[in-house]
Amino acid sequence: MLQLQSFNLSVEKTLSELINNESPKSFDRIISDFDNTLFHISTPESKTQILLSIYLKCFDDLVRYGDINSYLANIYSNYNILDTPEPGYNFSIYLDLVQFKQNFSIDQQYEFISKISFLKRNCLAAPFEKAINKYNELSLDFTKRQASLQEKHSIFKDITQSQRDDADSAEILVINYRNDESIYIKPSFDRVTVIFSTIFKDETDKIFGKVFLQEFVDARRRSVQNSPQVLYSHIEPPLELRSLPEFLDLKSSISSSNKYEKGFVTFVLFPRHLTSQKRDNTISQIQLFRTYFHYHIKCSKAFMHSRMRSRVLEYLKLLNRAKPDFEEGSKKVERKTASGRRFEIRN
Amino acid sequence: MASIATPAVVMDNGTGLTKLGFAGNDAPSFVFPTAIATNSNFSGKPSAPLNRPRRSGPSGSGASAINSNLSNNNVALKRGMEDLDFYIGDEALEACNGPNYSLSYPIKHGQIENWDHMERFWENSIFKYLRCEPEDHYFLLTEPPLNPPENRENTAEIMFESFNCAGLYIAVQAVLALAASWTSSKVQNRVLTGTVIDSGDGVTHVIPVAEGYVIGSAIKNIPIAGRDITLFIQQMLRERGEADSSLRTAEQIKQNYCYVCPDIVKEFRKFDNDSQKFSQYIVENQNKTQKKIVDIGYEKFLAPEIFFNPEIASSDFLIPLPTVVDQAIQSSPIDVRKGLYKNIVLSGGSTMFKDFGRRLQRDIRDIVKQRIEASERLSNAKSTGVEVQVISHRRQRNAVWFGGSLMAQTSEFKAYCHTKQDYDEFGPNIVRNFSLFSVP
Ligand SMILES: Nc1ncnc2c1ncn2[C@@H]1O[C@H](COP(=O)(O)OP(=O)(O)O)[C@@H](O)[C@H]1O
Repeated sequence: MLQLQSFNLSVEKTLSELINNESPKSFDRIISDFDNTLFHISTPESKTQILLSIYLKCFDDLVRYGDINSYLANIYSNYNILDTPEPGYNFSIYLDLVQFKQNFSIDQQYEFISKISFLKRNCLAAPFEKAINKYNELSLDFTKRQASLQEKHSIFKDITQSQRDDADSAEILVINYRNDESIYIKPSFDRVTVIFSTIFKDETDKIFGKVFLQEFVDARRRSVQNSPQVLYSHIEPPLELRSLPEFLDLKSSISSSNKYEKGFVTFVLFPRHLTSQKRDNTISQIQLFRTYFHYHIKCSKAFMHSRMRSRVLEYLKLLNRAKPDFEEGSKKVERKTASGRRFEIRN
Repeated sequence: MASIATPAVVMDNGTGLTKLGFAGNDAPSFVFPTAIATNSNFSGKPSAPLNRPRRSGPSGSGASAINSNLSNNNVALKRGMEDLDFYIGDEALEACNGPNYSLSYPIKHGQIENWDHMERFWENSIFKYLRCEPEDHYFLLTEPPLNPPENRENTAEIMFESFNCAGLYIAVQAVLALAASWTSSKVQNRVLTGTVIDSGDGVTHVIPVAEGYVIGSAIKNIPIAGRDITLFIQQMLRERGEADSSLRTAEQIKQNYCYVCPDIVKEFRKFDNDSQKFSQYIVENQNKTQKKIVDIGYEKFLAPEIFFNPEIASSDFLIPLPTVVDQAIQSSPIDVRKGLYKNIVLSGGSTMFKDFGRRLQRDIRDIVKQRIEASERLSNAKSTGVEVQVISHRRQRNAVWFGGSLMAQTSEFKAYCHTKQDYDEFGPNIVRNFSLFSVP
C-alpha cells in the first residue's frame, strides 16, 4: 500500500452495514482517524435513527480560517445537519433510516455513504479551498492591475514590486491540527504556500525524515518536474512564517520547540496545481502529507528490520556451520578443565 | 496527550482471525483472517536478500531502498518497492487467486512465527484499516498462554521501534476472556478465577486461571477446533454427493445450522421420524444467476458432537472435551478448584454452537458427581458438593477482544501500560512484566 486513502474505510463499512441491515440494531461505536479525529456513530433514541458526529482537534481553527460550517453545509446540503452538534463533537448529521430508504435511491444511498466517509477530508479541505479562492482573487487582481499599468506605460518593474508586497500581505491561515504540529497556508497572487511543522518523537525518525525530504527535492530535479517545490528547514521557521506572533521572537520560539526539534516542510503550489480540475486532488494529497510522511518512515523501518532479521539469520547459520562436530568418531576426545587437569574416564 | 480523540487500540491477532477495534466499543471494527499475501518475488523470507551475498553492505543498499520507497514514479521501478506490495485479511485471500501473490499465515498455534509478515500485517492494520497514527494511541495486544517472553520482547520492539506507539499493554487472552464474561448476568462477583475454554480455528485450549494468573502446568490442548468441524461437514457433503461441497459452503452450514444436542441416539431418531428436521442451504454464485441446493442432514448436530465424542472424526485424539476440562481442573492446586468449577467461561468462534454450554455443563456435572459419590463411598463422609457452572454470554465470539476493550477503556489503563519513554530508557525487557489489571 503506497498511498493512504482519503476516505475512512471503517466509517464506510460501518455505515453500509447499518443501512443495509434488514433488522436495525441499537448501535454505539467510535472510530478514529488520523490527526486526533474521532467519529461517533450511534443510535441514541431509537434503532432507526442514526446520529453521526465528528470531532476534530483543529475545528476552532477551521471555523476561524475556513468558514467550515457553511462549507460543510454546502456539501452535505441534502442531509439533515444538526444545528447544535452532539456534545463533545463538532459536527453532526442525523439520519432517519426509514425516511432515508424511502427518499433515496440505492445509488444515492451509496453516494451518502461515500460522502460521509470523506467527511474528515472535507473538513480539512475548507481552509485550503479558502486559500485557493483567495489566490484566484489575488491573481485576477494582479493581472488586471498589470494590464492597466502597462497601458499607462509606467515603469513596470518597480510597481510590480510594490504590488508583490501588497499581495504577499495576505493573511496566513494557521491550522493547529495536532498537538505541537500545525499547517500554515499562505495564498499569494502567483502561488499558494503550504508549510507543515512536524516533530520527530524518535531520533531514528529524524534521520529517516531527512533522507526522505532530500529525496523529495532530488526526485523533482530528476523526473517529476511538475511536482510542487519542496523545501525543508530544520528548527528555523521559514521566512514566510516570521511574521506570525509565535515566531516573532525567533530565539525563544526555537528554544521552546527544542524539545522535539520542529522541522518545517514547505510546499509551493503553483498555478498548475490549482486549476479547477486538479484542485480537489491537490487538496486531498497535501492534507495527508504529514501522515504519509510518517507512515513511510515507519514502513522503511519495518523494511530495515526485516533486512536485519535475515542478516542475523544468515550469521547464525554461519555460526552453526562453524561448530566443531564431536559426533563422528570422536568419542575419545580428551576433555580438560581450565587448569589443564584431565577428566578421568572410568569404565 | 489524553484527548478524547485517541481511544486505545485493541488488537487481537488469533491464529485464524484478527479482530481490530477501539476500546470502549462493544464489537471490533474489523474481523478478518490473519493472512497476508505477499508478492512472490519478494517473499520476506531470508532467501530473497540472501541470494545476493556480495552486496555493498546493509547500510548502503538499505538507504537506497528507502529512497526508492518514496516516489511512485519510474525511480521506484528500479528497486525495492516490493515491501509495500502486499495485502492482508480478506483482500489477501482475493489477491492470492491471482498469479503474483502467495498467501501465508504469520501466526501458528497462537504464536507469531513470521515476524516480517507480522510487522507488515500490523503496519497495514494500523494505517489502512484503523487509520490511526500509532504515536497518538495506546495499544492493547493479546498473547496466548505460555507465550515465551522473547516473543513479547519482539512484539514490543516492533510496536515501539517501528511504530513509536505511545504505550503498550500485552494481555493474556484467557484473562481477557474471563473479563468479558462479566457482562453475563450469571456472574455475580467479578473475579479473575475460572476455567477458560477457548476454541478457535486451529486448537482448543482449556486454561485454568487463578486470580488473574494462568496456571501453566494445568493447561490442556485439544487438537479439535473450528477447522476440523468444517472439514467434517465437507466430508459428509462429499460422501452424499451434494451439488456444492466447497469449504465455504461447509463453513456457512456450520455457522448457521449446527447445534449441540443432548443425546445423539435420540436425535437420530427424531430426524428419522420427522423430515422437517432436515434443512436446505442455497448456494448462489457471485452474480446470483445460478442456484445450487444443498441438503443438510445429520451433520447439523453430528459435527459439533466431535467435541464430545471425538472418535466420530478423529482416530488419534479420543478424550471428550468435558473430561479434558475436568482433568485440567484436577491438575490445578486444590484450593482453587472450587472456583475453577464454578466459573467455566467460553470464548472463541467455535463455542458458538447452540446449547454448547448447556451440554458441557451437564457432562462436567456428571463427571464431578460420580467422583464425589465414589469418594463418599470410600470415606463414608458427606461432601459439601461442588458447584459446576458454564457461562455463555453474548460476546462469546469475540470474547478476547471484548475483554480487551473493557479493560482498555478504564481510566487506569494507561497507568498499566509501558510507554515509549519507558522503553527507550530500559529496553525491550520491560515488557516481560505487566502488572495485572485490578479491575474495578
Ligand atoms: N457462529 C459460529 N458457529 C460456529 N463456528 C463459528 C461461528 N463463528 C465463527 N466460527 C468459527 O470460529 C473459528 C474462529 O474462531 P476465533 O476464536 O476467531 O479463532 P482464533 O482466535 O484462533 O483466530 C472459525 O473456525 C470459524 O469457523
